[in-house]
Amino acid sequence: MAKQTTDQTGFSDVAAGVDAVIPARKQSWLQYYLPSILIFIFAIVTWELFVRLFSIQEFLLPAPSAIYNSLSLNLNQLLKLGWFTTKEALGGFAIGCSLGILVALATARWTIATEALMPFAIAANSVPILAFAPILNNWFGVDNPVSKMAIVAVIVFFPVMINTVRGLTLVDANALELMASYAANQYDVLFRLRVPNALPYIFNALKVAAALSMIGAIVSEYFGGNRSALGVYITQEAAQFRFANAWAAIILACIVGITLYLIVLTVERFAIPWHPSVRGEER
Amino acid sequence: MPPTVSIQNVSKLFNPGQANQVLALKEINLDILPGEFVSIIGPSGCGKSTLLRLIGDLTTPSSGAVLVNGKPAHQARLDQDYGMVFQAATLYEWRTVSKNVQLPLELKGIAKTERENRAKEMLALVELAGFENHHPWQLSGGMQQRVAIARALVTGPQLLLMDEPFGALDEMTRERMNQELHHIWEQTNKTAVFITHSIAEAVFLSTRVVVMSVRPGRITQVIDIDLPRHRDVTTREMTRYFELVNQGREALRRAEAGL
Repeated sequence: MAKQTTDQTGFSDVAAGVDAVIPARKQSWLQYYLPSILIFIFAIVTWELFVRLFSIQEFLLPAPSAIYNSLSLNLNQLLKLGWFTTKEALGGFAIGCSLGILVALATARWTIATEALMPFAIAANSVPILAFAPILNNWFGVDNPVSKMAIVAVIVFFPVMINTVRGLTLVDANALELMASYAANQYDVLFRLRVPNALPYIFNALKVAAALSMIGAIVSEYFGGNRSALGVYITQEAAQFRFANAWAAIILACIVGITLYLIVLTVERFAIPWHPSVRGEER
Repeated sequence: MPPTVSIQNVSKLFNPGQANQVLALKEINLDILPGEFVSIIGPSGCGKSTLLRLIGDLTTPSSGAVLVNGKPAHQARLDQDYGMVFQAATLYEWRTVSKNVQLPLELKGIAKTERENRAKEMLALVELAGFENHHPWQLSGGMQQRVAIARALVTGPQLLLMDEPFGALDEMTRERMNQELHHIWEQTNKTAVFITHSIAEAVFLSTRVVVMSVRPGRITQVIDIDLPRHRDVTTREMTRYFELVNQGREALRRAEAGL
């Protein structure tokens, strides 16, 4: 954000006395996140006290300390399982998002095709795609990571495609007319106007897809598969009443999911610094 | 001298053959000579924006012909013979000020260095030197509109088409923008077609004011603005200026009454 600060400072020098005002409010990182950190600590402490005071059985809800013990005890194994599942999630994410964006770009040129296809895409988006997991396991082989990637790819494909199409088509009428006034060709309109206009929509979809991809990978593993996977581990530990272990794996999955989301968020900040959702935090 | 814009017996029918068919323009004839500044005023819905869009070939006439620089309007658009300024500045928010001004040059395939130099030149002309690397959202409405004017001028077109460019600005900013636009027109010797609601603005800027009436849109009066070609703050205090504004107001009243 150092770049933006320089811009703003440079601006107020030049524009002193001119009719423009930039609101600038700087907060330190700690100030900004302190409330969230306090709430997190409060929640963990309450959870721990609740379990201890009311002697809650472990199979109902293990205490955070028990989960932490399991996590540190099995860390090496969990990390190995986690990496296996993360690879499935990443593979599916990459395939599904690329296809979603490519299909959207292809349909952008043929408006009629888009209009005909969109109702189906939206309908497909509301179908519980995880229900197809056993079938995809059957197609690609239950032990083959590709079957899990396929499920993840199918899950993330539709939100990415629908949002990209939206971003490519919801373009300001004046902005299009400006292009027309310069007799711009289709290629220029696509890459100089429609694609930049779609980027915020695409990043919103990628954030959703990042979270979905980890969920998709784990749940698809619930339907069976390679034993070295996080989803299989969770079902097996739960079946044998080792709930602290299952919880530890779930926590790890959460951390991976959040990390993927944060990576997309970071890329977004660098890719579209001009968008209100990104620069808004500076105000 | 051949006219820069020649509108010959142009009519425009929207939704022809349907229940909501509207005759937006009826038998418009208007020649605009090189170096003229022509303002078009009229009540809302009189088709003045449509007329401007016809000149820019952003819509086509139902009958009649529009010539720009002696060519059909369509060819003139392909040749980038005009620059257009809309009521909204219509800057691309992902581009810096300089990059926005460079857009028409990019579409023409001009090399980077030349693009940057010409954008710099144009931004200096609209008194925004030093703002090259700012983003549109860092500028006020008036400044954004000046960027839009710089963008319209950057390819060096002889003709400038403006659709209520200062309509969204407050009165003070608007007067200052009028002053600057006049200055640019005087310096560059362009031909300008300017749509506005404001009689005072039209009289201050123009060499001719075209008054249109509503349903169907047609030209009811053309007022020659016989003020000195150079305009400045003292122009607004001249007796002749007041007379012309009153004349314009009277013409607009008659147009609104459909006379």
